Amino acid sequence: MKEKLIVLWRNLIWPWSPQSNREASESVVKNFWLHWFPSRISLWSMSWGYSLWLGTIAACLFVILAITGLLLLYFYIPSVQDAYWSVKDIDNVVVFGWLLRAQHRWAAHLMVAVVFFHLVRVFFTTAYRAQRVWNWYIGIALFVLTLFLSFTGYILPWDQLAYWALTIAMGIAREFPILGKSIRFIFVGGNILGQSSLLRFFVFHNFFLPTLVVILFALHMWRIRKDGGLACMDKLIHETRLKEIPLSPTKTYSLLGVTEGTTIQVATTEALDESNSVHASPHLTRRIALVFLVTTIVTLVLALFFPVPLEEPANPSVTPIPAKAPWYFLWLQELTAITTLKIGKITISGGLIGGILVPGFLLLLAIVWPFLDKSPIDAIGVWFHKRRRIQNIVFVFISLTVIALIIIGVYLRGPYWKFYWPWQPWPEIPTLF
Amino acid sequence: MPEEKDTKITRRFFLEVFGKAAVVVAVLAEAFGAIKAFIPQVLYEPPSKFKIGKPEDFPEGITFLSKYKLYIFRKGNDFNAVSAICTHLNCVADWKPEEREFYCSCHGSVFSEDGTNVAGPAPRPLSWHPLSLSPDSNLVVETNKQVSHDYKFSLQGEKS
Repeated sequence: MKEKLIVLWRNLIWPWSPQSNREASESVVKNFWLHWFPSRISLWSMSWGYSLWLGTIAACLFVILAITGLLLLYFYIPSVQDAYWSVKDIDNVVVFGWLLRAQHRWAAHLMVAVVFFHLVRVFFTTAYRAQRVWNWYIGIALFVLTLFLSFTGYILPWDQLAYWALTIAMGIAREFPILGKSIRFIFVGGNILGQSSLLRFFVFHNFFLPTLVVILFALHMWRIRKDGGLACMDKLIHETRLKEIPLSPTKTYSLLGVTEGTTIQVATTEALDESNSVHASPHLTRRIALVFLVTTIVTLVLALFFPVPLEEPANPSVTPIPAKAPWYFLWLQELTAITTLKIGKITISGGLIGGILVPGFLLLLAIVWPFLDKSPIDAIGVWFHKRRRIQNIVFVFISLTVIALIIIGVYLRGPYWKFYWPWQPWPEIPTLF
Repeated sequence: MPEEKDTKITRRFFLEVFGKAAVVVAVLAEAFGAIKAFIPQVLYEPPSKFKIGKPEDFPEGITFLSKYKLYIFRKGNDFNAVSAICTHLNCVADWKPEEREFYCSCHGSVFSEDGTNVAGPAPRPLSWHPLSLSPDSNLVVETNKQVSHDYKFSLQGEKS
């Protein structure tokens, strides 16, 4: 009986813990869940220090968000009258509802940060050159989607934060040249924020944006395999490809002579041996499970000890003083507040410059950067390569500017967006004049 | 002749082009329909022309109608209606009686007493809306129309 149970268990999870080298090699082919892993993985790719596992952490956070979000969907009502009170119920009436919401929100905040740091890691290790440029683009799209998911998510409670954030975002949308008014009209579903706006953002948040993330995530993973694994492998693969690889008499590497040379996968396999790599199953799977576990614990602990806020119900007549966006958008709020330009009689609103042109320019910069990058090819997969000092400084400068604007927004802006040092008290503001 | 044969449209070529064109037209038509569905045909929104109350109910000075995000200025028998919606990104600008200025809480725009943008990111002055008197002697505002900053609505009957 016990033997049978063990066999049944092994059939269910096999071969997550393979018993032999042969089973370990076969596992990635035979197991559906493992099919996207390579058979062997290099020790460099496995190390904590190279990739910092930020992509894996981001994926874990997305899974946590999907599960907690799906559960929250059972209790949330997407109507202007009920949304706020259903969120209040989630916080106060639904058993452990507060924990679900808190974990969802903490995972969302962490995901913005982790996806950004993943981008920083990829930049500093030059993991976006040559064929990897496509994964760089997919990654940027995923970063933008993460921001949109966060934004559409905090619209849903329909509290003061939601209402005024949407007001400002739709104000920025209206500044879009030529099409601005139509864009705003379609997203709002009219001229005044209300039921149709809430429902539209609800569907974006729960269907279109997560679906796009899942599709792009699959592409992101697929491209890593097609590009030969993590970028830290590139040097070794390159050296292996320069060598003459003896063709196996039993395999048709060259597609029966249709193509010449060997594929990147063959070079990878050739470059890896017992001394520099391990089987993906169970070594990689175990490490991913560990990252999942730690990420879950971190979000759970944060949710337990730092409950998330809910502002007053949305009030279209009273703007909160001060009205601040979440931290990851505060640099944009700061930019819209300081970039209004007056050239003679023409005034260009900060909504257009700080809200559309500056972020649009940064996005464009990220798109063209791989082509401006003239660093040597052996910089790929190396942290802080010495030939990339200048572009690393430019990148750090842009990132620090954004972070400085966020810090100004979080700590140094008071009522009516006036500048206050942290030791200066804010004046008393009557709630209604 | 072979040249003539090349220019002749074959049945296969015609069906191929026709088929592809049909797919493109069908996709575009579906997309057009789907996008059209998102443009509301009926707006269940409050009217842009509405009564705000009897003139005598407004005290001398400035009254804020929070429901309409409107400031009503009264100076004797002269009335003005100034929108509280900031021209930067649509937050509500607060009237500060001690400074005699409007302050927007979202991005710090400042407007003078007549709604002129004097500081902060606001690109335009606050909107002034025309006023009129309804037959039942209520003040009526039209928020979809704008007037210049020298506009005032005077009550003729009580002027003497």
